[in-house]
Amino acid sequence: MTTAPPPARRRLPGDVDMWVMILGDLFFFGCYFVTYMVFRALSAEEFAAAQRHLNVGIGVANTVVLLTSSLFAALAVLAVREDAWRKARGLLLAAGACGALFTVIKVYEWYAKIGEGHTIEDEFFSFYYVLTGVHLVHVLLGLLVLGIGVRELRASGRRRPTIVEQSVLLWHMIDLLWVVIFALLYLMG
Amino acid sequence: MTAQELRRDRRAILAAWAALSAATVLAWLLSPGESQTDTTLGNELVAAVVVLALIKCRLIIRYFMEVRHAPRWLRLATDAWLAVLWLTLFITYLV
Repeated sequence: MTTAPPPARRRLPGDVDMWVMILGDLFFFGCYFVTYMVFRALSAEEFAAAQRHLNVGIGVANTVVLLTSSLFAALAVLAVREDAWRKARGLLLAAGACGALFTVIKVYEWYAKIGEGHTIEDEFFSFYYVLTGVHLVHVLLGLLVLGIGVRELRASGRRRPTIVEQSVLLWHMIDLLWVVIFALLYLMG
Repeated sequence: MTAQELRRDRRAILAAWAALSAATVLAWLLSPGESQTDTTLGNELVAAVVVLALIKCRLIIRYFMEVRHAPRWLRLATDAWLAVLWLTLFITYLV
């Protein structure tokens, strides 16, 4: 960890409205996560047995894809601060491409699991489909918001750095939530 | 923002990404499925998975979301979310 910067550099990334939304979303996802763990505790054996049917390798691949997407998005914000607009746009597009790849992998995983007969009739899989499904809706919304950032960087004379910053913040939150979902569903077997 | 600060932030973001990816692979190797441990024997391993996930979450918040430069209320709010969430999840797992 680096030492804390002097107070002069303290600034709120994005704006307060975005943070109200992010903290609210984190709170609600926190409630979903605790609910999942309570149900898991009530039938630990069944959950552990069902969980073994998930492919951890796919989960790891998707985690690295989303982390890399966040890296591109974070670098895009720094590029905007250097007034390197074209570079920032390229980085945001790369972040979006990784987000699209995440979606493809997730849909493939669902397709495979449904094919193997794991449906919402199984309690673990009902949580799996709801948690990853609500998260996937956030990914699609995040891609739309990243698209707004890309559009902002395209229009000359209307380039507002805060719009890019806000869209990237939302994208990082989606990455953050996935890291928790990955640990709970795939790793805590 | 000076060029030096931008360079420093870029290095910090790249280091955070490398640490996050490494922690993901490490947690994979430790996870009960991989180490062939029975679930009832895996409490230490689960603790390791939980700690790694907590560290990953904090790296994303601090470095990607730039909360390390943010005002005190936001640093406290995000840390409170992390602490309450992971403590509750871990206790629920053990009980």
